[in-house]
Amino acid sequence: MILGLSAATFGKWLEGAGPRKAMFASAVCFALGFYISYLGVQAHQLWLLYVGYGVVGGTGLGLGYISPVSTLIKWFPDRPGLATGMAIMGFGGGAMIGSPLAVKLMAHFHTPDNVGVGSTFLTMGTIYFLFMMFGVFTIRVPREGWKPAGWTSMTHAGAMITTHDVEVNAAFGTPQFWLLWIVLCMNVTAGIGIIEQASPMIQELFKGTIGPVAAAGFVGLLSIFNMGGRFFWSSVSDYIGRKPTYVIFLAAGAVLYWVLPYTGGNHWNSVGLFVTVSVVLLSMYGGGFATIPAYLRDMFGGYNVSAIHGRLLTAWSVAGVLGPVLVNYMREYELRHGVDKAGAYQAVLHFMTLLLLVGFMANLLVRPVAQKYWRTGSATEKAA
Amino acid sequence: MAANTNGEGTKSSGVALLVAWLFVGIPLGWGVYNTALSSMKLFQAGPAPAMPAPAPSSPR
Repeated sequence: MILGLSAATFGKWLEGAGPRKAMFASAVCFALGFYISYLGVQAHQLWLLYVGYGVVGGTGLGLGYISPVSTLIKWFPDRPGLATGMAIMGFGGGAMIGSPLAVKLMAHFHTPDNVGVGSTFLTMGTIYFLFMMFGVFTIRVPREGWKPAGWTSMTHAGAMITTHDVEVNAAFGTPQFWLLWIVLCMNVTAGIGIIEQASPMIQELFKGTIGPVAAAGFVGLLSIFNMGGRFFWSSVSDYIGRKPTYVIFLAAGAVLYWVLPYTGGNHWNSVGLFVTVSVVLLSMYGGGFATIPAYLRDMFGGYNVSAIHGRLLTAWSVAGVLGPVLVNYMREYELRHGVDKAGAYQAVLHFMTLLLLVGFMANLLVRPVAQKYWRTGSATEKAA
Repeated sequence: MAANTNGEGTKSSGVALLVAWLFVGIPLGWGVYNTALSSMKLFQAGPAPAMPAPAPSSPR
């Protein structure tokens, strides 16, 4: 939640200050969050952990998430989807590094009277800071109007790719912004529905076949497809267009969420089909994150795309709360009414289908931004 | 990586590019390898008594 709020709050500042300052602020906040968490662990003060890891670290995370987006789009005007895919894939990949690293560090620092969490926070904060500073020192912004040799935007331009810029405050008032907000919120809420329940769900749908160890493997597989989907789908969107890409996410996603509970032990009893459907869904969940900045750039131009992206990430904040609450509430409701554990997932997953259909409708309604919102006298010169 | 601050004018050095990719690629490769290793358990583990286990963290 804090990530989205931070991105929304500081996005406009980032556009003025530039990516280097924003990345530096992000590195400082993120590392500081770990250090405050260390103090919280040492002092046995839970609130310090919330403030440190949650608020201060989350603020750094939000800033860091949007910082490279507009710069990468400027370096890859011919392939903005690929560019945003790389950035957002990096965020997904970071979770794959952080999780095993934390486990190994805690094992390293573990003593009979100390579980090693505090030292792990301290070490990880320092490692993250150093790596983020590498980014701070190496990032470069191309001069305005730079384009790859031999590339002309006219070959890619279409009605859904603007040649004009829209400022963040103006974009905030367009129907397109809120339609894309709904698209992202629905896509993320549905994805979180699987991520939160992945391990217990596969065990309960295939009771006696899948145990905790295999379920942990399933969650790992989801992580890989979540990350890979970010790069794959956003790159694909450069060729087929942003809107059609979301049509695939939301339409195919709706069908797959509907089918998913039937793959379980009570119906078709196919672990392979369940896993296949789940990994495709997670790849589209990740793809939704990675493609949205390019979609925003197509709609609003590159001028304030990081700031607009930051504000759109409030959809993630809402989905981060809405997803688990909906899933847990619906599941508890089903269980209270005598539905067995495996059967309770059916209602939850079918509800996710409905959410994706709402997102599908919102995406269909997206049209080019009206001229009245354009930034005056600053048409983006994309043509040769 | 270009040599000047606004990214224009000079060609990136091959060594600098290699270092940059290694700096990013090695940790990422290590993370993906660990996750892939963990995901293999799905295909290796035989039938086991079902009991809910806390889910490992996944990219958001």
